[in-house]
Amino acid sequence: MISSQLTGRRLWIAALVVPPIAFMCLFLVYPILSAFAYAFYEWHGLARGDFVWFDNFHRVLFEFPFSERTINAFKHNIFVFFALMVLQNGLGFILAYCLWRELWGARFHRIAVFLPVVLSTVIVGLLWKLFYHPLFGAVNATLRAVGLGSLAQPWLGQDSTALTAIVVANAWHMVGFPTLVFLAGMQRIPSEILDAVRMETESEWVKMSKIVWPLVAPSATVVFTLLFVGAFNWFELPFIMGGVDGSPHGATDVLGLYFYRTAFGSMSASAENFGPGSALAVLIFLFIAVVSSVITIRLRKREIQL
Amino acid sequence: MARLSLRGIKKRFKAVEVLHGIDLDVNDRELIVFVGPSGCGKSTLLRLIAGLDPITDGEFLLNDKRMNEVAPSRRGIAMVFQSYALYPHMDVYENMAFGARLMGLSKAEVEARIQEATRMLRLEPLLERKPRELSGGQRQRVAIGRALVRKPQLLLLDEPLSNLDAALRSEVRLEIARLHREIGGTTIYVTHDQVEAMTLADRIVVMNGGRIEQFGSPRELYETPANTFVANFIGSPRMAMLGVEREGDRLIAPGIGAISLTRLPSAADRELLMGVRPDGMSISPDLQGEGFAAQVVYTEYLGDSAYVYVKMGEGAPVSIRCTPDTQYAPDTPVKIRVMPDKLHFFSSNTSQRLAV
Ligand SMILES: Nc1ncnc2c1ncn2[C@@H]1O[C@H](COP(=O)(O)OP(=O)(O)O)[C@@H](O)[C@H]1O
Ligand SMILES: [Mg+2]
Repeated sequence: MISSQLTGRRLWIAALVVPPIAFMCLFLVYPILSAFAYAFYEWHGLARGDFVWFDNFHRVLFEFPFSERTINAFKHNIFVFFALMVLQNGLGFILAYCLWRELWGARFHRIAVFLPVVLSTVIVGLLWKLFYHPLFGAVNATLRAVGLGSLAQPWLGQDSTALTAIVVANAWHMVGFPTLVFLAGMQRIPSEILDAVRMETESEWVKMSKIVWPLVAPSATVVFTLLFVGAFNWFELPFIMGGVDGSPHGATDVLGLYFYRTAFGSMSASAENFGPGSALAVLIFLFIAVVSSVITIRLRKREIQL
Repeated sequence: MARLSLRGIKKRFKAVEVLHGIDLDVNDRELIVFVGPSGCGKSTLLRLIAGLDPITDGEFLLNDKRMNEVAPSRRGIAMVFQSYALYPHMDVYENMAFGARLMGLSKAEVEARIQEATRMLRLEPLLERKPRELSGGQRQRVAIGRALVRKPQLLLLDEPLSNLDAALRSEVRLEIARLHREIGGTTIYVTHDQVEAMTLADRIVVMNGGRIEQFGSPRELYETPANTFVANFIGSPRMAMLGVEREGDRLIAPGIGAISLTRLPSAADRELLMGVRPDGMSISPDLQGEGFAAQVVYTEYLGDSAYVYVKMGEGAPVSIRCTPDTQYAPDTPVKIRVMPDKLHFFSSNTSQRLAV
């Protein structure tokens, strides 16, 4: 009786656990492992050739023309990471602070700030492409309207501004997320601690930098880590706004796009090149996994218990 | 130096008025206790004095200077919060140094003040600990240290003992009294516990429902409570209250008994409330003569004394202080006699004290 109950319970648990695990294995673990494996073979189209050890990795990292493009894309990823750190997380913190202090219209802005987050990246990409349109885009129109017509320029069409323009669109899209996390962190600070600070200073800057920021920093761990992962996996927005070649002239090329072009081929680049593509994917994966683990562990250590 | 004056202070939260006009004058170096039941507005008043909430109406003067619009950090006031409110990411030393540095003091001065506070509060072994590594009593001392380092002219404490266990309370209470004398400033201390108030205060502010019921020394409050609220709130066990009717020099409690007195309130009220504390009554098994009839409910033995609880008519049980060897079985009928000079009289309409 008891044993049959136990088996029933086990079956029940298995029925709940097996499907998601199977799903994960099929769509996550298997592709990652197979990419690992593919990276060590030579490929002719989709036909697997010889086992070539680290040849593909060597090509991607050190041989022309792969290495040059890899490094170009990697530099852009680094730029995107820092730019988003300032624009998205920095702005998110300031916005959260304003919302938390209940400045004018806080109720409206709390929703307004988070709304873009729920939009699909495709829509955001197309929207901002329109905003940036050199002739009838909202950005240039606004500049002309306020008499700064000389600053109007083809934002997405020139090397100097294209990547930054996409970063701005990304920050607009996602700023609600760090804002929400920081806001939650701020609301968790006991009100008597804030009163205690007010007894000692009236400087908003001291309050924010010496008390609020250190107490909210724990919630920053997750925001930083996710931003890191996001910045080095960056794909959709540059794909939609700059195209698969990272135009103009590779100015918006990032590792994600370069991997895609290498592995699956594109109109302008060569045909698909599965070996180096897989090697690139493995490198990106390892880089993100190692660095984000280190970030998480180091930041976790510095967290403060309230 | 800190004299403070509150003139007609009112506080509204949205539509709700919580303080209905508080007038109060506090002298330099006094230890004032705000006492009253939970929700009567003690913390609210303290926060208005600190400047943490804006004053809706009225004026707050500190040394004759209007403070209403002055920022909390510029009032020369320090506050110890109920939850201590230490900065969790700073160690004990930093917690104390933070405010002192913000005052623009020199490094040496900050150091000297921290050393002084450390010595007064015996914090040496704790200086490098974070708040979460401290016990409740230790956190309390750090919170006080943080306040003292700023050398405030006025120190505010909001229910500082409420998060401590009973054994620690009387110890910390003495400590606060000692510190108050040692630093020589003015202190305002908030509590809902009348025993705490009585033992600590130079003068007590009894509050109820957003008003001051009485302001005076512990002795004044105990011996001449201004109204029935103060009479009931101060003193433990409570004062007994009996509705009586006056006929000539006799006071009659219908159905319970009567007494004759030589000195009665000068007011002309026919119906009065007569109050008497546990030590103003005696109990006797002899049912003859003047007095009030009662029935014993139970006896509480306290070692050096005993309290006998009796029921007189319909009201709540009344306690009477007796010698420790007193023993009455429950339901014994007894006679209660009162000492005429220990009686308090209140108007049954206004609840105010009536002078004899
Ligand atoms: N921020 C606030 N908003 C609205 N009502 C409040 C606020 N703070 C206190 N009150 C109300 O004011 C009254 C007095 O509160 P408080 O001063 O905390 O009482 P006490 O400290 O004497 O227990 C209570 O009825 C409480 O609900
Ligand atoms: Mg309170």
